[in-house]
Amino acid sequence: MSVVSELSHIRAPKAKSAEERRARRKAAGRDNKAAYLFLLPWLIGLFVITIGPMLASLYLSFTDYSLIESPTWTGLANYTRMLDDARLHQALQVTFTYVLVSVPLQLAVALGVAMLLNQGMRGLPLYRSVFYLPSMLGASVAIALLWAQMFGTDGLVNQVLRLFGVDAHTGWISTPQYALSTLILLHIWTFGSPMVIFLAGLRQIPQMYYEAAAVDGASRWHRFRKITLPLLSPIIFFNLVLQIIGAFQSFTQAHVVSNGTGGPSDSTLFYTLYLYQRGFGEFEMGYAAAMAWLLVVIVGAATAINFFASRYWVFYDD
Amino acid sequence: MALNRRQFLIGGLGAAAATMGLSACGGGSDGGGSGGSGDSASLQFAWWGNEVRNKNTAAAIDAYTKAHPNIKVAQQPGEFSTYWDKLATQTAGNKAPDIIQMDMAYISEYGKRKALLDLEKYGADVSKFVEGSVDSGRIDGKLVGVNAGINTPVILMNPAVFAKAKVAEPDDKTWTWDQMKQVGAEIAAKGGSGTVGMQSPFVDAMLSAFLRQNGKELFNDSGLGFDVPDVVPWFQMVADFAAAKAIPSASQITEEQAKSLDQQALATGKAGMAMFWSNQVEAVNKASGTEMKVLRFPSVSGNATERKAWYKASMLWSASSRTKNPEAVVQMINWWVNSPECANINLAERGVPPNTEMLAAIKPKLSPAQAAVAKFIEDIKPELAATPIAPPPGGGKIGDIMNRHQGDLLFGRTNPADAAAKFVDEAKSNLK
Repeated sequence: MSVVSELSHIRAPKAKSAEERRARRKAAGRDNKAAYLFLLPWLIGLFVITIGPMLASLYLSFTDYSLIESPTWTGLANYTRMLDDARLHQALQVTFTYVLVSVPLQLAVALGVAMLLNQGMRGLPLYRSVFYLPSMLGASVAIALLWAQMFGTDGLVNQVLRLFGVDAHTGWISTPQYALSTLILLHIWTFGSPMVIFLAGLRQIPQMYYEAAAVDGASRWHRFRKITLPLLSPIIFFNLVLQIIGAFQSFTQAHVVSNGTGGPSDSTLFYTLYLYQRGFGEFEMGYAAAMAWLLVVIVGAATAINFFASRYWVFYDD
Repeated sequence: MALNRRQFLIGGLGAAAATMGLSACGGGSDGGGSGGSGDSASLQFAWWGNEVRNKNTAAAIDAYTKAHPNIKVAQQPGEFSTYWDKLATQTAGNKAPDIIQMDMAYISEYGKRKALLDLEKYGADVSKFVEGSVDSGRIDGKLVGVNAGINTPVILMNPAVFAKAKVAEPDDKTWTWDQMKQVGAEIAAKGGSGTVGMQSPFVDAMLSAFLRQNGKELFNDSGLGFDVPDVVPWFQMVADFAAAKAIPSASQITEEQAKSLDQQALATGKAGMAMFWSNQVEAVNKASGTEMKVLRFPSVSGNATERKAWYKASMLWSASSRTKNPEAVVQMINWWVNSPECANINLAERGVPPNTEMLAAIKPKLSPAQAAVAKFIEDIKPELAATPIAPPPGGGKIGDIMNRHQGDLLFGRTNPADAAAKFVDEAKSNLK
């Protein structure tokens, strides 16, 4: 129901006759139509660009589709095949490790920096922009290429280490043990967008709570633990949900850094990268569509768990 | 008043929608031209390449459009690694380029799925082609790719690196895989710090050579042409090369594979040898500023006449089966492979021209390196065995699969027997 019609309800006195009621319903209907008309561009987008392709991909996930020929129905074959696909299991392992390690670390760094910036220092807008910059660039191809250079065998990182007398010849992105950690580091570095949100959240906490606590002799840690964290928990929750969803969908960094292979030894085979390899590299778009739907289920489940768990730790001050 | 405003709004939206619809139509009809008439057309022309090839190809296209002002050609150059993703997406979206530079690894992927035009039906002329150079472009009896150049796998050797390390040049008519390993190890040991013996030669073409020398093939008519016991020695050899330090470390190999030709170890003077295709010699020489020496790949028996060499179509000219201008497309391909004008622009960059008259026409103009390659191709005729068949659908990625299991082996995560078993298992399940 549109705002206008609600207002008209408030304005108008109680309807006296059936005729009057009918006229009013008609007016309300007209208002609704106007609302839908204004929503039309968005609705067209939703159905044509989002829901339509989603349904198509759901259909394709039950087919054998080579991109070049038309799809043929194969029932659940794509889904049962997932059970014995060793690379899929590897991709799941890599992706879960990435999400479980990089998201908490990134949020911790973001919160830490946000609290530093919240001290009311001079030149805050400058620092805020500087720290925010990486998250604008982090998912870009240029930064991923730069990362690959920096962490190469003869890259900047090793050269700096050598300055300090370390005989560093490890290829940080070309050795299976370290490659994923390097990508996790890249993700943590892009802490800017949760940081800005944290910063806004910190500003919302009334100063008087801290003053009262300080008068009562609460230590810095206690003030953080008992005032900042609870009052910030809705913001933390918001960041957590968004970042987890985003991390599950990471693609660019791994694709660029590993040259599209997910190597070395499949150690950076992100789920979406494997999906891409299957769909576009090996002409198995049906299987790729089924994988996409598995990812939808996984992300949905992770978000549901998040919302369920939030009851126990998120505190709404109202 | 309100009514008027709403009418105005609806009208406006309708107009906007109509505009959108129109522009969508405009976007969809590119590449169409005035199809059917055959006298005027606009064509999409896609290829992958290096700097030299991009320049040649653009020049040849310009020459063609100047001679045929009614034909417009939109160029789509690309890099090999991303070319295939793009082509698959374009094909799925019914936007495949009209003329497609095709590779043997993918020709049956597209050809068997009827995505490629039957070129002979529209008058493709391969009558002057040297024997055995046409059939690699035939899928299910239809000519879907015209050989763009003859190619053969070679080992390139950097004489400067050999001289600096004071290592004798190997005799490529008698050397075995084992001797190649020893030479590589010697270069690495004596070449000074940062020098590697050879870039890892363990790619699908060399596996094919190794299997053929042992009486097998990568692929045969019924699928995979080998089994686990046939590739255990191969993975053992990879491990031996690594143990002897004839090839770089696993992590260096990984970094190397992401580099473009001009940044790789051979071109930058850090490696003594590397496996390449014969048509790439010119590009490697240009990138390195060194004249590389072309060597035969080794054999199991130590006798080059038993090394089971083969000619490969370096690439092929194919066309989308959905092109609106099949005549114009085939006309341009014919010009490309049969006209001295085009041959003189491209020379042997895509490999030695399969059309013998073209080869004769360009011979005086070839650079010393290209002339040497043309002579090499001629010289190895007695060493040729049957041409390998095109990989079946799902077989084009066999090199990637092998590379992954070799990586596991070189990083010490598996042993040759397990790597062989997993490789065969995966290669089999990928075939369709």
